[in-house]
Amino acid sequence: MNPITPIINGMKITLKHMFMKPVTLQYPTERPKVAKRFRGLHALNVSHDKAKCVACYLCPTVCPAKCITVEAAEDANHDKYASVYEIDMLRCIFCGYCVEACPVDAVKMTEEFELANYNRTDFIYSKERLLVKK
Amino acid sequence: MVNLTIDDKQVTAPKSATIYEAAKLNGIKIPILCHDKKLKPFGACRMCLVEVEQMKGRQIPACTTPVTEGMIIRTSTADIVKARKMVLELLLLNHPLDCPVCDKSGDCDLQNLTYEYQVNSNRFTDEKFSHEIDYNNPLIERDMNRCVLCGKCARICDEIVSYGALTFIDRGIETKIGCEFDDGLNCEFCGSCIAVCPVGSLLARPFKHKARFWAMTKHPSVCGYCGTGCNITLGVKDNKVLTTIYDEEQGFHKGQLCVRGRFGYQFISSEKRLTTPLIKKNGRLIESTWDEALELVAGRLKGGNSVAALATPRLTNEELALFKKLLVENVGTKNFDHAAGYAHTALTGGFARSFGTSASSATILDIQKSDLLLVIKTDAYETHPVVGFEINMGVKNNGIKLTILSDKRGKLSKLPDATTIVHRPGSEVAILNAIAKTLLDDKLVTATAATIAGYAELEKALSGFTAEAVAAECGITAAAIKTLAAAYASAEKALIIFPAGQAYSGHNAELATAAANLALLTGKYDREGCGVLCLSEKNNSQGAVDMGFFAQDGGLNGVQILDACAAGTVKTLFIAGENPLISYPDHAKVKAALEAVDFLVVSELFLTETAAMADVVLPVCSYAEKEGTFTSTDRHVQYFKAAIRKNIKIKSDYEVFSNLVTRLGGALPPTPALFFSEIAANTPGYQGLSHVSLRKEGAFAPVATAPKFVAPLAVAPFAPETGKLALVTGSALYHNGTLSEYGEGPMHVCPENYVELSRSDASLYKIAEGDLVTLSSSSGSIKLKAKITPRMPAGVVFSPYHFSAAPINTIWNGSPVTSVTVSK
Ligand code: SF4
Ligand code: SF4
Ligand code: SF4
Ligand code: FES
Repeated sequence: MNPITPIINGMKITLKHMFMKPVTLQYPTERPKVAKRFRGLHALNVSHDKAKCVACYLCPTVCPAKCITVEAAEDANHDKYASVYEIDMLRCIFCGYCVEACPVDAVKMTEEFELANYNRTDFIYSKERLLVKK
Repeated sequence: MVNLTIDDKQVTAPKSATIYEAAKLNGIKIPILCHDKKLKPFGACRMCLVEVEQMKGRQIPACTTPVTEGMIIRTSTADIVKARKMVLELLLLNHPLDCPVCDKSGDCDLQNLTYEYQVNSNRFTDEKFSHEIDYNNPLIERDMNRCVLCGKCARICDEIVSYGALTFIDRGIETKIGCEFDDGLNCEFCGSCIAVCPVGSLLARPFKHKARFWAMTKHPSVCGYCGTGCNITLGVKDNKVLTTIYDEEQGFHKGQLCVRGRFGYQFISSEKRLTTPLIKKNGRLIESTWDEALELVAGRLKGGNSVAALATPRLTNEELALFKKLLVENVGTKNFDHAAGYAHTALTGGFARSFGTSASSATILDIQKSDLLLVIKTDAYETHPVVGFEINMGVKNNGIKLTILSDKRGKLSKLPDATTIVHRPGSEVAILNAIAKTLLDDKLVTATAATIAGYAELEKALSGFTAEAVAAECGITAAAIKTLAAAYASAEKALIIFPAGQAYSGHNAELATAAANLALLTGKYDREGCGVLCLSEKNNSQGAVDMGFFAQDGGLNGVQILDACAAGTVKTLFIAGENPLISYPDHAKVKAALEAVDFLVVSELFLTETAAMADVVLPVCSYAEKEGTFTSTDRHVQYFKAAIRKNIKIKSDYEVFSNLVTRLGGALPPTPALFFSEIAANTPGYQGLSHVSLRKEGAFAPVATAPKFVAPLAVAPFAPETGKLALVTGSALYHNGTLSEYGEGPMHVCPENYVELSRSDASLYKIAEGDLVTLSSSSGSIKLKAKITPRMPAGVVFSPYHFSAAPINTIWNGSPVTSVTVSK
């Protein structure tokens, strides 16, 4: 083969791409389009102004990374609720098992993917931080 | 034995077995929901349906059908599976299916069976139940919406506990389990119903929502309260004891527990536990280090005879033996004792001289094998409830005759055909002697009795104890004594049971020998179902006796030690776990003694009233944080290992004593396991025992008797004073010693001291239920809540001794009966 041919072929591709729309996003000025079923940061669904979670412990039980901490308590009406609900995002592997295990549709995963932080402790998401904001 | 075929397998089973039992015996599993091996067959749920060829393939319940020769049984044909599925569908029809919030989830028979039979849809539709949930008591929540009407709760409460708090009420679809007048539950709170409920209808409120069943590790252990020695399983999560778990395979009692064992575990992981050694400086206890504290203690222990020690019989055998070794060999003192110095004298004084051994000549297992039980004081139920269950079952199922000699009526008196002879308080010894006299007079003694040493002396000493004379003094009839003597003598097997403990100072050596004399006269000892059983108070009371941790060879006993502290001859007092300020007689005297002693060391779990007076307080482990052995009241030696890791900052008593041994120049003692083998070799009956051999289910240390008659002392009976009431002390069902004050469960239902009095006295003094009344005796006065009960005879009041807020020892100086005045 002529030694020039590969170079010409290569240049062809290069030239072609010069006129195509670039793949790279100019993050953060440009934002990616996140799919509806993306598994990002968790959120706790709210109903009647209360977290739906009934503290059944199925999500911490199923969680393969053991990053969910739930502590149950009894409220004034003798109902069970989660007095503590924490997810350690440093350990979460975003498998979504917790969402699948939840019998009351209390936990979901959002499109939120920007989870960087300066402090390790900031990766522990408490119940307050996880509750769906209105 | 009968031969039968189950699922094409040729098997044999005992004649009395049901199909379910026969299958289980041969490793074939038949699902059950309403059956429990401790209860009588009931047949409510139809989960256990099987087909029997001889019955034309009809489906019959395996749990209620006895086996017959040649039966051909099939346990899981397609038809049966279909029928079982339908049973489950029907049960699930009205069930709320709130598994996510139900604490039973993970341990629920209905859930497990639903999963196993894959019942994931329901052909029927109906409304769910909407029964009101019973939150009326602090320990047991009743949610009848989840109930499958298996009746186990009502049956266990009736058949074993014999309380009868629960029953089926209403009919048809309305049927539910309810209490009296469909009111809230208010019972003795043993929690047996919670244990057997297959679903989440009955739940322990102290454990409510604390953890899921599967998240806990289950640690078998031995109950740390009374001498029954029940086996318990502790539910542990994150190194905290969160609950006790029912295991029907555990112990002679098959997992049954009393309120203290089941609900009194909170002291283990309590926030109030001591975690740092404390040293008194300028009158205040200041946090310190182990090194400083132990160095100080070691220095003060170098005092020979001026050192004394009191230990709680809640320590392990290893700890008690090591403590003794430390005191005798390294300190050089014989002044040590336990249980106030007298609560063990029935064993160390009474049985020792009558049977030649300081242990009971019968076991708890003898109860159900006996024909006649003579129980001294109805309190035997309150002090040892699970022993009480054995009595209940014996009387109700085996038709054992029960006679109770007591100063008040009680729960045992309510058993079918039970005879309660209510006598004047403090006269039980005289009555036993009168029975002995009657046996002699009416020629009811066995032929061999005369060959036992001391027979002639006994005969002579008993001359004053004629039934008539004693009956008049004791407020009973001579006929009652004579009938009892005849019944006792004529029974094929008879067993005498009495509780002992710090609140039962009258249950001493005299009582033990008087009871032993009866057994010896009639030959009712050393045989199955016979003997005398002393129910010792604490979990290792018998162990403390076996380890020799009591005053011997001229050493001072518990009472003398306190006197010597006050007199200044004892300069250092080491109290390991006792709380004499509350539990020993005569508060003022104990306080003066503890104030007078130069140096007081207390090793404790909590800063008790006694610990607060100490110069050094050493924080030590509970039984759940250490390993060792406990010896139950009937010499069942049981090994237990730590259920949780101990707080790194505390030490076990064993470690404390080991450390002190080395600081006093001794060689470092071996590990508890090795040390136990050493002890076992030198303790009668313990030979050959080791931690390894005890690991599975413990072993009974055999008791060898060398009988001898002991002549009774003539004691003037308690004479009631006019205008005064007779106060008897004792144990409350919900408590044991002073430890249960730190167990939250008991405190939820019995939080404060009270005085129980009869209706006639209540109307005489115009006292209403719950009134604060003042009791005064020669040693002081105290204000207590009044409780009016029909069980108390007129002129007698009762008060338990466990409570630090209002300790009964402010008016009680240790005599079996105290004269008190009552005023509002
Ligand atoms: S599975 Fe759902 S209800 Fe259960 S603890 Fe997790 S979020 Fe709460
Ligand atoms: S409450 Fe529990 S134990 Fe009692 S009948 Fe219902 S399911 Fe059975
Ligand atoms: S306190 Fe006694 S009777 Fe009750 S569970 Fe414990 S050992 Fe058994
Ligand atoms: S287990 Fe046999 S009928 Fe319920």
